[in-house]
Amino acid sequence: MDSFAVKTEGLTKIYRDFWRRKSSSALTNLNLTIERGEIFGLLGPNGSGKTTTVKLLLGLLFPTSGKSWLLGYPSGDLTVKRKIGFLPEESYLYKFLNAEEILDFYAKLFDIPKKERKRRIDTLVRDVGLVSYRKRPLNQYSKGMLRRIGLAQAIINDPELVILDEPTSGLDPIGSREMKDLILEFKRQGKTVVLSSHLLADVQDICDRIAILNKGVLQVIGGVKELLSQRDVIEFMVKNLSEPDIQAVKSFIERKNGDVVSINHPSSTLEELFINIIQHR
Amino acid sequence: MTLTIAMNTLREALRKKTLHVLIGLGFLVMLILPLIPTTDEPDARVKMMLVVFFQVVVLLCVTGVIFLSATSLPHEIEDRTIYGILSKPISRLKVVLGKMLGFALLSAILLAILSLLNMAAIQYLASNLPEEYRGIVKARTEFTASQFDIQGKLHHTREGIAWIEGGRAGIARWTFSDLRKNPASNSAFEAEFRPKIESSRGFVDTIPLVVGVEDTNLRWSKTEVLPARADKPFIVKIDTESVQENSIIYITVFPVHPTDYIGVTQKDVRMFLIQKGFVSNYAKAVVITFLKFLLIVVIAVMGSTYLSAPVSIVSAFVVFLCGHILEYIKDFSLLIQCHDAHEHVLPAMLKKPNILLVYMDYLLKKPLEWISFVLPDFKRFDSLKFLLKGIDIPLETVGVSFGYTAIYAGICLFISAIIFKKREFF
Repeated sequence: MDSFAVKTEGLTKIYRDFWRRKSSSALTNLNLTIERGEIFGLLGPNGSGKTTTVKLLLGLLFPTSGKSWLLGYPSGDLTVKRKIGFLPEESYLYKFLNAEEILDFYAKLFDIPKKERKRRIDTLVRDVGLVSYRKRPLNQYSKGMLRRIGLAQAIINDPELVILDEPTSGLDPIGSREMKDLILEFKRQGKTVVLSSHLLADVQDICDRIAILNKGVLQVIGGVKELLSQRDVIEFMVKNLSEPDIQAVKSFIERKNGDVVSINHPSSTLEELFINIIQHR
Repeated sequence: MTLTIAMNTLREALRKKTLHVLIGLGFLVMLILPLIPTTDEPDARVKMMLVVFFQVVVLLCVTGVIFLSATSLPHEIEDRTIYGILSKPISRLKVVLGKMLGFALLSAILLAILSLLNMAAIQYLASNLPEEYRGIVKARTEFTASQFDIQGKLHHTREGIAWIEGGRAGIARWTFSDLRKNPASNSAFEAEFRPKIESSRGFVDTIPLVVGVEDTNLRWSKTEVLPARADKPFIVKIDTESVQENSIIYITVFPVHPTDYIGVTQKDVRMFLIQKGFVSNYAKAVVITFLKFLLIVVIAVMGSTYLSAPVSIVSAFVVFLCGHILEYIKDFSLLIQCHDAHEHVLPAMLKKPNILLVYMDYLLKKPLEWISFVLPDFKRFDSLKFLLKGIDIPLETVGVSFGYTAIYAGICLFISAIIFKKREFF
């Protein structure tokens, strides 16, 4: 079994117009390897080639040159599609169906037996918090609810590899936190998660490794901690220290030729504050 | 998986009430039929119900089905629901096949409901028809005469019609030698006569005819005098027991009075074997109509694998229309020549041909031949002509229609699969 979940070699996509003339390069020579069991973030501004990469991996687009493999199979192969789950950028779902029906429809595409389908639907509807809305048509769902049901359909087959395109888009902070918790749970279950996002905080919170794309070109790839750590800066976090003691520590550092860059009271994130307020009142 | 896509397609049409609207419209058209005036013929309303169903209601439903099937895939692509399907382990061929199957199921439901209503109405109307007009609600197998001759004196022949004088001066005789019949069945034979009548007494609308039916093998015969009307055929019933598998039936006709004349051709006497009921014949007509729906669904879905929704609708309609006028497309070059001949008298044309039309003919002849070869021939699916004459639709006709649809749909599916497989979803 290949150790990698995703691998690309010189993956290039050039969009052409009707007359086959080159109109734009969406992705240029992408070489990428994502290990099994990791959470990998594809970062980049709008139009950087994140979604193009995802579509190439899924076989929705065909590469102009280069190759890609998922779980050891070439992209677009039907066998590998049994082992992957995909949440598109927006929740593109049949709005005339209700939650149960749409999950049943997608489960049937995996040939999951009826009893097992029912069990998984019950579990997933509960996991994404839509038990009381399971019979309601999707055209009456809010954007956040659609996102949740979109995620449920992406994991209906208990996939080994989950590809999430902008997973937190349209979700409120609580939904966003739940989504991130779920992604971490996927990792605990041994699944590989590839998420494409431009929300840097989300990626920083949960990803093991990231790749940053810009104008279709890979700019940087590596572990989040490695990329973000400032080797020449040291941070102490201390509790219950009086002001004179702080000054004494500062003087000590300066005597040792260190530059004190800042002395602050650390603040929590806005997300943490929001969740504290909503959940504890 | 194909069935999953098909059932989802069908469910979409049901949830969006498209099927309800089409059934409602079809029902409405049939409901207003009794309000439309018809001719005085007792069976005119039954014929009208058949014509309206197989032409107006079917056209209405075909229009609806074209709209749905030509837009389904483009809408999936536009709404990007196709991402959800194609990221699952289903081949693109199965997606296209599922769409086709879904709309085929929709057409089947649509046709089944509307045809049942139509048939029930026809059965009700037919129950009140006089016996001589009930031929329309029968399913008869037609036999044409294998031989036709005039015994005695032929008065004259004009435009292929043989005229004989009454009073045994001449006798028209039709020979039927290929009558097939299962003696065990309770089916019956009848002979239908359509002679032209004239009289030296002036204008008449009825003359008496001596009609003889005999089987020389079995040595039986019957002769009767029957009134022949100018405007409608008359029918002679033949006992079931009288016709055996190897029977050769002779039918002879001549006017009673020497002053009367009849004009006849080989086709003016036909024999019918009344074998099966109207319901089975009607069902065969509906099956043939369903094959027509199936073909247009396949063509519309094929177009939609590449074209946008509006272009796909228009192209499916153009194919549907052209498929009904193939003979005109094939004869287009002839039409140009005829037009040329009408515009100029022949000698003038020979001296001074219309170069533009000759050139157009030269240019269009081959492409039109090719187009007519590629386009589907929807005329094959015309089952109305059988029902209107009360003629049993031969199983071979159903079989040929089925075979034609299967081959044409198979080719379309193959092309669709190739196009859709190469399609990218941005």
